[in-house]
Order: sequence, then structure tokens, then C-alpha cells
Amino acid sequence: MDWEFISNLILASIRMATPLIFLSLAELYSQRAGLVHIGLEGLAAIGSLVGFLVSLISGSPMLGVVAGAAVAILVNMIFAYATVTLCAEQIVYGMAINIFAPALAAFIYRVYFGAGSELVQVKLMDTLSSTLHINADNFLLKLLLDQTPMVYLAYALVIFTAIYFNKTKSGLNYKAVGEYPKAAATLGINVIGVKYVACIICGALAGMGGAYLTTCYANTYVDGNVAGRGFIALAAVIFGRWTGGGVLLACLFFGFCDALQIRLQVGSSGIPYQFFQMIPYIATVVVLALIGIKKAGPKGSGKPYLREER
Amino acid sequence: MKNSNKLISVLVPIISVLLAFAIGCVIMAVLGANPATALQSLWIGAFGNTRNLGTTLARATPLIFTSLCACFAYRCGVFNLGGEGQFIIGSVACCYVATQSGIEGFPGILLCLIVGALAGGVWALIPGLLKVYRGQNEMIISIMLNYVATLFMGVVYTNWLREGNVPQTASVPDATKLSRIFGLRTTSAFLIALVVGLLIYYFLFYTSKGFQMRAVGLNMTAAEFNGFAVKRYVLFSFVVSGLIAGLGGSAELLGTQYRLINGFAAGYGFDGVAMALIAQLHPLATILVAIFFAALRVGSTTMQAATGVPTSVSDIIQALVIVFTVAGLAMVKLPQIKAVMDRMFAKKEAA
Repeated sequence: MDWEFISNLILASIRMATPLIFLSLAELYSQRAGLVHIGLEGLAAIGSLVGFLVSLISGSPMLGVVAGAAVAILVNMIFAYATVTLCAEQIVYGMAINIFAPALAAFIYRVYFGAGSELVQVKLMDTLSSTLHINADNFLLKLLLDQTPMVYLAYALVIFTAIYFNKTKSGLNYKAVGEYPKAAATLGINVIGVKYVACIICGALAGMGGAYLTTCYANTYVDGNVAGRGFIALAAVIFGRWTGGGVLLACLFFGFCDALQIRLQVGSSGIPYQFFQMIPYIATVVVLALIGIKKAGPKGSGKPYLREER
Repeated sequence: MKNSNKLISVLVPIISVLLAFAIGCVIMAVLGANPATALQSLWIGAFGNTRNLGTTLARATPLIFTSLCACFAYRCGVFNLGGEGQFIIGSVACCYVATQSGIEGFPGILLCLIVGALAGGVWALIPGLLKVYRGQNEMIISIMLNYVATLFMGVVYTNWLREGNVPQTASVPDATKLSRIFGLRTTSAFLIALVVGLLIYYFLFYTSKGFQMRAVGLNMTAAEFNGFAVKRYVLFSFVVSGLIAGLGGSAELLGTQYRLINGFAAGYGFDGVAMALIAQLHPLATILVAIFFAALRVGSTTMQAATGVPTSVSDIIQALVIVFTVAGLAMVKLPQIKAVMDRMFAKKEAA
């Protein structure tokens, strides 16, 4: 347990927390508009595949992230139409997305690379310090400068989200849709419109979170690379009490668990590595068990909104 | 009115399947294969002769267990997305007993199945207890436990029960394997699955406990006011659904796989949920849907060999079936569409 170990752990936590921040913000925007979305795992899977393919073809990881977000929005429009317009049960449809989107991702991968697939790798996104040609050699410089632009974007989005939901009129209207859509509608808020916007934001953020995994974190795509992050993000939103700041802290905690897990795997012999890999998942269960019943989420979350219904 | 509802609940999945196949055919055509030949080879691969039929039923068996598991819990209004974890823990416990206890033959099989089922039940007890006593989201917990179970199985086959250089466990003894039916790949595990399905059907629709459980599932608040022990039913449904999955895990190990290995049971849990939803939580329909999905999987291998269409096309078709069915079932419940359909049926009855 020396300084080197701790500083590496902190740096890795930041890296591991970033995809979770994107995914949790996606869930937050969805739930604030009254849509519980358990299909983020699937959206992230398709986002990560498209991000990988586009950055492979174009050579630009940035473009990959944008494309990943765009395709995830398209897939999420299926969810939006089914749950907002057709009033399908959100949990059930989230499951459907969870099955459909990874199948689509796997299919595209097989078709593009054929059966005999050797491991294809892409160039990862440059960190800020290497773009600016700064030699980041101490911990503080590494923490502040040796990050990909996606990390800065994630934190900027957290700050924006916190301000938007608490300090702007449009943010309060948005929250009203999630709390009590009928009251919101009587005030002239376009409930259906807000829900669709929420699905666009949610799809974009989830796709970016997925694309982060293939453009900034690992330089290749494998099936199942999202590894439950979509579900951990759901837990992070509950843990973070449906606020931007809370979600950030929750993600940093889960990111820390993930980073710790990897460090411990390297450092120990004798104990099967799978036990360390369990840490993030068990931490999620323990955290949820500890915070208990106190429900603070949007009141209208999970319920369909039918305009004619009383 | 009631008949029209029943008709719709059968029609929606059928139309969804047709739509999914239509899209599948377009994909095949785009990939440069003749959809008709591809579908034909898909059919032959799945049902063409008794041997293929046997393989299809063998593939369907674990899916029947996991979909019955999802179906049972959701009848009580709780989502058990942890079928995969319970299935795996069941098979791990079963593997331990089968290879380490030294009890073989019929008593061994019986012991293995019981231990496997109990292990699955205990694994499902965790999300159940957290749901009932901590009010926690049972979906997230059960999914997290899936990952833990998969990793735990990894420890077992790479470390504790590893045999030789390859990361896998020893095979279960021959005397403890489930017997094959007519020399096909289908084993008595399939019969066990059918019996479990029939038992669940009987319990849900012909016993007062089953009725109460469904009442809890339809409206927890109303059930609570009527004095039903809601919490007990929720816990009960979770444990029983875990038992079903655990039993499935051990039946799969003793019937088909014989040893734990990387990728064992991967995806069975979510597939089970999808099938239960397509079957609209009817236990017997669930069995049919599971056989249909298994047929798509088994047949797709033949299709790939014959026409070069990758097997993942069949995954897309399966995924589209669920996407369309769930949307379709929601659509027919919309007031405007319901009104149109009621009018249509009213006309038919008048004529």
C-alpha cells in the first residue's frame, strides 16, 4: 500500500467511473421524465459496437462516439414509441431492448468481420496532455490533464444536469413530467414531447457510454463488453438519489470498486481472480441493501401516461 | 368478449413471428442467400428427422426451465431476472454432489436434482428477502447475482473442481447421467421440464393458493386489503422460481452438458424472461415458445452450413419476435384500438 498504488487506483477509478457516469445520466434523464429504462445495457452494447466500427473505418474515435450515440438514439426510438405512444410496460420493453440490441450488435460484428474473426484493434482516443504535448509526470497533472476528452465531457454534463434540474424553468418542467404528468399537462407542458426528448437524451448518453468502452478504454470489441454496467448505472441512480451530484458520487464509488478489483487481481496470487471480479457486483447489492426503502425517485416513474385516462 | 381477448392474445405473437421472419428474410436476401432455401434448411435442421427433433427438444429443455422460472415470479408481480444465476448455482451444487459425493445411479440423480433445486432456491432467496424487507429493486439485485454466480462457476471450473489442463470440471459419472429417450439427444430432463410446467399450470389455475398469488401479482394493494399475505407470497414466488431454475441447472448438467465449462448457460436467464413474456405468462404456452426458440437455434446451424447465412440472423429473428410481441400486446390494449376491435367482433357476432 504505497503512494504509487493509491495514485494509480485513483486514476483508474476516474477511468472506470466515466462510462458509468454517462449511463447513469442516461437513466437519470429517462427516469426524470417518468420512464424507467432497464435496457441501457443493450443500448450501450450497440453504442460500443458502432463506436468501434466507425472509429476503425474513419480512424477517428471522436466520430465513433458520435456515431455510437446516433445509433443508440435510433434503437431507443423503438423503446420510446412502444412505451410512450403504445404505453407498453417499461420494464418489459427495457428487457426487450436488452435482448434485441446486443443481438443486433453481435450480428453486425459477424457480418462485418466474417466467421474467422481475429482480434481487430483500434487506436484509442488521445488524452488531453498528449494533444497539447504536455508531459504529465506527477499525480496532479495526470489527474487533471492525462484524461480523454470524454472524461471532461462527463463531468461537464454532471454540472449541467445539476444546474438544469434545479435552477432552470425548463428543467423544473421536465421534472414535473416525471413527478405528475397530468398536472404537468394542465400547465401546458407537452408531456409526450418531453418523454420523447428524454428518450433521445437517454439514447445519446447510453450510446456514448458504450462507445467510451471501445474508443477510450479497451481498443477492441467483444460481445458482452458492457458487463452489467447498464444495470449498475440503474443502481447508481437509486444510490445517488436521482440528483446529478449524487449520481456522480455513486459512479465514482462503483468506479473505485472496479478499479480496486483490477489492482487486487494483479497484486495477489493464490486467490482465484474471479473473487475480485465479483467486487463491483457485490458492492452494488450491498449498497442497495443498506440504503433500504427510502424512496425518493420521481413519483410518476414507471407508469404509462395516457392522455384520455382519468 | 372473452373469446375475442383470447384470440387476440394468440394472434399477436403469431403476427409478430411472421413479421420477424419477414424481416429475417429481407436480411438473408441482402446477405445474398435465397430466403426460401434458407428457411427450408432451418426447418429441416430443427424438425427434419427424429434426430434433429431430439436435438431441438434437448436445446429447449433448459430454456423451458428458465422461462417457467421467469413466468412464475412475474405471476406474483415480481421480476426475477436472476434465472441465469439460479440456474448456474443449481448446476454448480449439482456438479459438486455428482462428482464428489460418490453416490451414483438413481439415488445419486435424485440427490443431485434436489440439491441443485435447493441451491437455486437459496440463491433466489437473497433478492426475495431484500425486496420484501428492504424494499429494494429485485431486478437489479437478481441481475447482479447473475454475474456473481457466473464468476463463482468460473472459480469452480478453473480452480476447485478443475480436471486437467483444460478449464473445466470432471464429467459426472455415467451412472448419474440422465437417460436418453429413444436414443435421441433428448433426455428425461425434458420430461421433468414438462412435469414442472404442468404442475405450475395446476398450481396457478386450480388451487386457491395459486389464485391468491395471481391476485397479488395483478394488484398488490388490493390483495393486501383483502388480507392476503403479500410479503409471504412475494418471497414464496421468488424461492419457487429459484427452485425451478436450480432444478433446470442440474437437469441440464446431468442430461446434456455433463461438466461445467466456460459459457455454460450464458444468456438463458434473459431468454427465459423473453419467452415467458411472449407466452404471456401462461406456463404451457411458455413450453411451446421455448421449443420454438430452440428450433430457431438448432435449425440456424444447418442453415449456416447450407446457405452461408450466419446463425446470428436467427438471434435477430428471436429478438424481433419479442420486440414485436410486447409492442403488439400493448397496442391492442390502447383505448382507441380496443374500441375498433370491439366493434369488429361485435359485427361478426351479429352477422
